[in-house]
Amino acid sequence: MFELDQRIAEQLTEVALNSAVQVRCGNSNAFMVTASTIIPLMQMFEMGGVYISANRGAVEIIQAFESIGMDVSNIQFIDLVSSGILGGTDVPYSNIHFVDSPIMLESVLLRTLYILRTTTSVRNFVFLDSVNALAIYNEDRILAEYLHTFINTFRQREILSVVLNVPDQTPPLVLSNLDLYCTDLIDRGQVVIH
Amino acid sequence: MNPTELVGLLPMQPAAVYTRDRCVTGIHGLDEILRGGIPYGSTVLAAGTCGSGKTTLGMEFLVRGALAGEACAHFTATEPSVKLLENIRQYAFFDMNMVDSGLINVFDMDVLYSWLGLEKASFELDDVHALIKAIVDIVNTIGVTRLVIDSVTTLCYKIKSEQLIRDFLFTLGKKLATLGCTTILISEITSATENAHWSSFGVEEAIADGIIVMGDVERMGHLLRFLQVVKMRGTAHSRAKHAIELTPLGVMLTPMLKWGAQSDKTSRWGS
Repeated sequence: MFELDQRIAEQLTEVALNSAVQVRCGNSNAFMVTASTIIPLMQMFEMGGVYISANRGAVEIIQAFESIGMDVSNIQFIDLVSSGILGGTDVPYSNIHFVDSPIMLESVLLRTLYILRTTTSVRNFVFLDSVNALAIYNEDRILAEYLHTFINTFRQREILSVVLNVPDQTPPLVLSNLDLYCTDLIDRGQVVIH
Repeated sequence: MNPTELVGLLPMQPAAVYTRDRCVTGIHGLDEILRGGIPYGSTVLAAGTCGSGKTTLGMEFLVRGALAGEACAHFTATEPSVKLLENIRQYAFFDMNMVDSGLINVFDMDVLYSWLGLEKASFELDDVHALIKAIVDIVNTIGVTRLVIDSVTTLCYKIKSEQLIRDFLFTLGKKLATLGCTTILISEITSATENAHWSSFGVEEAIADGIIVMGDVERMGHLLRFLQVVKMRGTAHSRAKHAIELTPLGVMLTPMLKWGAQSDKTSRWGS
């Protein structure tokens, strides 16, 4: 039986649509924390959303949600991983969009905005999975600048942004900037070295 | 005189600032960059490398005009009109009814040349004047308020002297402005870096009222499209690089990240 962290749902009741939530997790609890965040947003708050996957291919994430009985067909996925794998974009789901690489940060932002322009949901979230995965490909300063733009873009549009982050795998500059930009923190991280 | 009396003598409102009427392009983000749109009657050079989105930008400019009820014309010299329309049909903003109803008029330059008896390798002064007259007559007859010539580079290859190219563009721009027609001249360039010219012949950029540069930034082996408004007479505007995506809804823009606005040093695009 998969157990959700109910305290995350409680904490989410306190955030506004123009909030930016930093969600800290560890390696071992990443999916539990992700599901505990996404499920209340979809079910309790009836939100639509965009899930940006830089960590794993979107198919893998969708199947993980399906394995715990979650229908995520209402979420649009932007997959930054699978284009780097030959044949990776041949997928059986119509709610997956591909961006060639995690270094094409502006393209990710524009694709997200495009999806949000076409969605019928009144209230939406954008879930970024994850900062530490983006940090593999992007220099600290460009990633810090991107997060600044990303968060402010969605705050201005009253779209809830949720940024997943494994702190001990995130460069200190990016982490400190994230602390500065985000309005809320859900901390389920493990040992933080920095 | 005490400060209260001084306030009474000074104008408290800023002097009225004259602003030119705008041709609202309707392109997501571009009107914001141009602080409301292209000043009416301007001739704008859209200069870009291959695959940078020039033709899509031009077509969207026309379609957004047609959606607002404006008559638009597209002169194509780089691909047949049938092929152009087939390519543009993938975009959700385009509706073939706009062509059928006469709001969007697409002309093949080859057909125009043939009609004018200009099927020749190079144009002389009289040929250039005949071409200008034909374009202006079409614009005047249909009442075109938005015009795209794709590309002016292909057209100018037939005009052998720089002076004649200058005269052609200057006269055409002047006549179209008189008719209230806002024009985008698409220009093909091989590089869009800071050291590049923004036109093939070097004269188009001096004559145009505005220059929009489109190209690619190479980042770790990937090409990101960008758009930059270098010049636009009659309006304040952003001169920053903007990343663009060609989506089914049309061109979308966002400011390019400052730390990623330069191509990688080792790339052939940025060197």
